[in-house]
Amino acid sequence: MMALRWRLVALLLLALPVPGLAATPLPGDSVYLLEDAFSDQSGKPFTLAERRGKPQVVAMFYTSCRYVCPLIVDSAKGVEHALSPAEREHLGILLVSLDPMRDDTAQLASVARKRKLDPSRWTLARTEAGTVRRVAALLGVRYRALADGEFNHSSALVLLDSEGRVVARTERLGPVPDPAFLAAVKAALATASSS
Amino acid sequence: MKRHLLAIAIAIPLALAGCGRDNPNAAMDSRDAAKTSAGSATPGDLGPPQGEPINAILTSPPMVPPATGRTAPAKVIVNLEVKEVDMEMSQGVTYTFWTFGGTVPGSFIRVRQGDTVEFHLNNHPDSKMPHNIDLHGVTGPGGGAASTFTAPGHSSQFTFKALNAGLYVYHCATAPVGMHVANGMYGLILVEPPEGLPAVDREFYVMQGDFYTTTKYREKGHAPFDMQRAIDENPTYVLFNGSEGALTGDNALKANVGESVRMYVGNGGPNLISSFHVIGEIFDKVWFEGGTKYQENVQTTLIPAGGAAITEFRTEVPGSYVLVDHSLFRAFNKGALAIMKVEGPENLEIYSGKEVDSTYLGDKAASLAPVASAAAATVAGTLTLDDQVKAGQALFAGTCSTCHQADGKGMAGVFPPLAQSDYLAKGNDALIGVVLNGLSGPVTVNGQDYNSVMPPMSQLTDDEVANILTYTLNSWGNSGGRVAKDEVAKVRAGTERSEGAAH
Amino acid sequence: MRRTSALLLCLVPVLAGADAGWAPLPGGEFRSVLRYEDTGGVVKVAPFDLQRRPVTNAEYLAFVKRHPQWQRGRAPVVFAEPRYLERWTGPLQPGPLATPAQPVVQVSWFAAQAYCEAQEARLPTWSEWEFAAAADATRADARSDPAWRERILAWYSVPSGRPLPEVGRSPADLHGVQDLHGLVWEWVEDHSAMLVSGDNRDQGDPDQMRFCGAGALSMDDRENYAVLMRVAMLSALEGRDTTRNLGFRCARDPLPTKGKTP
Repeated sequence: MMALRWRLVALLLLALPVPGLAATPLPGDSVYLLEDAFSDQSGKPFTLAERRGKPQVVAMFYTSCRYVCPLIVDSAKGVEHALSPAEREHLGILLVSLDPMRDDTAQLASVARKRKLDPSRWTLARTEAGTVRRVAALLGVRYRALADGEFNHSSALVLLDSEGRVVARTERLGPVPDPAFLAAVKAALATASSS
Repeated sequence: MKRHLLAIAIAIPLALAGCGRDNPNAAMDSRDAAKTSAGSATPGDLGPPQGEPINAILTSPPMVPPATGRTAPAKVIVNLEVKEVDMEMSQGVTYTFWTFGGTVPGSFIRVRQGDTVEFHLNNHPDSKMPHNIDLHGVTGPGGGAASTFTAPGHSSQFTFKALNAGLYVYHCATAPVGMHVANGMYGLILVEPPEGLPAVDREFYVMQGDFYTTTKYREKGHAPFDMQRAIDENPTYVLFNGSEGALTGDNALKANVGESVRMYVGNGGPNLISSFHVIGEIFDKVWFEGGTKYQENVQTTLIPAGGAAITEFRTEVPGSYVLVDHSLFRAFNKGALAIMKVEGPENLEIYSGKEVDSTYLGDKAASLAPVASAAAATVAGTLTLDDQVKAGQALFAGTCSTCHQADGKGMAGVFPPLAQSDYLAKGNDALIGVVLNGLSGPVTVNGQDYNSVMPPMSQLTDDEVANILTYTLNSWGNSGGRVAKDEVAKVRAGTERSEGAAH
Repeated sequence: MRRTSALLLCLVPVLAGADAGWAPLPGGEFRSVLRYEDTGGVVKVAPFDLQRRPVTNAEYLAFVKRHPQWQRGRAPVVFAEPRYLERWTGPLQPGPLATPAQPVVQVSWFAAQAYCEAQEARLPTWSEWEFAAAADATRADARSDPAWRERILAWYSVPSGRPLPEVGRSPADLHGVQDLHGLVWEWVEDHSAMLVSGDNRDQGDPDQMRFCGAGALSMDDRENYAVLMRVAMLSALEGRDTTRNLGFRCARDPLPTKGKTP
């Protein structure tokens, strides 16, 4: 009898909205308003809103891309290396595949391994084809599937603040980061850690 | 301090050259050297902008913004709106124009070489189409077109430095370019040279364009764009400033006698080259193609499609001066016509207007000279037989010779001869009577019967009758004789006759 | 008994189709005006269904009633810019400037997608749209006929100050589809795939780094201004943009015909 009552109380407590955990609504210009489902390189499902709280550097790529996509990874790494270890801890990097048909979870994991991408900071994600189009539209990425399975796509690194708003973007790729973009990343991290 | 030295460095060569612009072929080198600021390797780059940013004054045609009057590079902000507007292209004919600033051509932009221009292109939300802008004065991809592709209800911004002085066309470059330009999306941007242009009394903005419609010239109603005609380069209208009435009638350009006038003339095309001419004026100077050098004393200047020219002249004499494309059927059958009205005092030494309007007789003038000299001689009282014969001969031709023939032989059975005619023996009075009153009914001359009608020649004066008869009596082997003017007068007074019937 | 009910079940999708006004379009090979390097301009379009008319204000009103997150004022600005449904009097009142039978305009690509997904459909792709739009009343591909081009260009020349005509006024084409031209621009699913330079004169100038693996896009058939303008228009837009002349209609893969409930 006693155990059951405690279980009921426990359940009630869990049911109550806990102040602080209750999310304030996302701002109207936040990319995280997209509610579609993604999964990462370990197969774990997630939604974009779960990345709230940490600024993100986001890009779109596909694993069989030989030309620019390796550069995209290099560019994101370049941004990372230009940060202090403390800053690095508070930045997330999200790469979304343009090619969910061929970039299955195993493929994403393989790339993450090959490029030694720390899973605590790097997320390689895939989602449904319709969502890919929506994410691209939100990030301002243009792409087109070619007959041979390659893609034409614009290449950019997009910086989201901790609320998921686009605050900077750069089309300058390469291991040496675009100074203006890097400054924006640092500023976003400073704002996030002070709030 | 350095800037002052630089200013002096610019001024001295210009002064030595006699104020640079008057002799464009000299001092080019020194001007080029002066154009680069200290530390900048790019020609035409006069250094960073100074002072507060300036909002550019844009004007609607035919007005031109005032000279910048600047002596140092500045940051200039240009806000140009794109609007799609229905306007009249000819009386009763409307067309959907796509415009920069609501006018065709679009607003005139005036900056100085070395200025940094922050350009905002604003596409009105009512527009159906996206638009962009290519300014020929921009050094950079697409002339700005790549950076200003703007959807309806959006605004694009880009910045450029005006490295080259000159008069440049700007136009929309969105696909399909030809159609955007054909719909009126063009205008002019003037990049003044660092020393500015010499002051003139009047400045005007004129731009020619060709237009393609499915309707005929001046067919009333709405005129849709005709793509096939545009591809065939067969315009319906060729217009200055987008409509037939833009610069005529009440909208004519105005100036006064004795003023210096500068026209910034562009050609938006999209297809035609213009042979620009002002009827009644000579261009003292033409900065051909809108560049740095000028030609002098030009009647008609070519303006390429997508090009411009600056023309300058003084007005000396009042009147209406017509601006045309001298490919004349465009001016008179497609509308490429504008008027500049100049008012003020006449100057008859330069242009007198019509002084004399007299008759010109063509070939007859020479042959009737003896008639005039006989008339003069009669007045002077010195009339000789010879005078009369000569005068009579001139008058006989074309009047009497028609029937009696030049050789006096007449026509057998129809018109009696005068040569060696026995009729002449009837005496002066009888002959005078025939000439004055005519002769009809049967008559026998030289044994031949005639029954014809000779109309009365009473329109001939006494002199003329006397001279003709004198000539007849003394020609073709006739026995001679003379008829005097007063003999004719006597016969004329003494007979009744009907009003003269001439041939 | 079982056969009759099976027949009835077969009829239901047909009836539903007639309600929404779907026209079946055959697929085929077809010459696109967008000549990408990898396709050489020849595109294969699979058979698909297309709505006969653009979505109207009445239909869109029904959608926002059922999906309140898409009402004006509630749709986040990241999915629909501030001018979303601007001319409606209220979030649930289209009002006199947006009559029930006029095509709905000032809707963003995200909103159009959401509407189509709610109908278990999707936006047409550019190729599907281009394929459908090539038809006139008697021919599947009338694009070489200058009269076809002139009719379309005539609409592009009219500025948009005037009120929109109602849907369904123009004659149906060979496939039974109306208003693909002459009424409003229409969203396509892959408008962001039109990797067109903002400056149309760059044809054949590959800026390799701008678009990864950039194949030069050249617009074939430069004479076909009608289509060029549509491409220019769509490539200028972002997903959250709206304009007063831009609406949409939905497409879907053909429904299977054997006894499946919708």
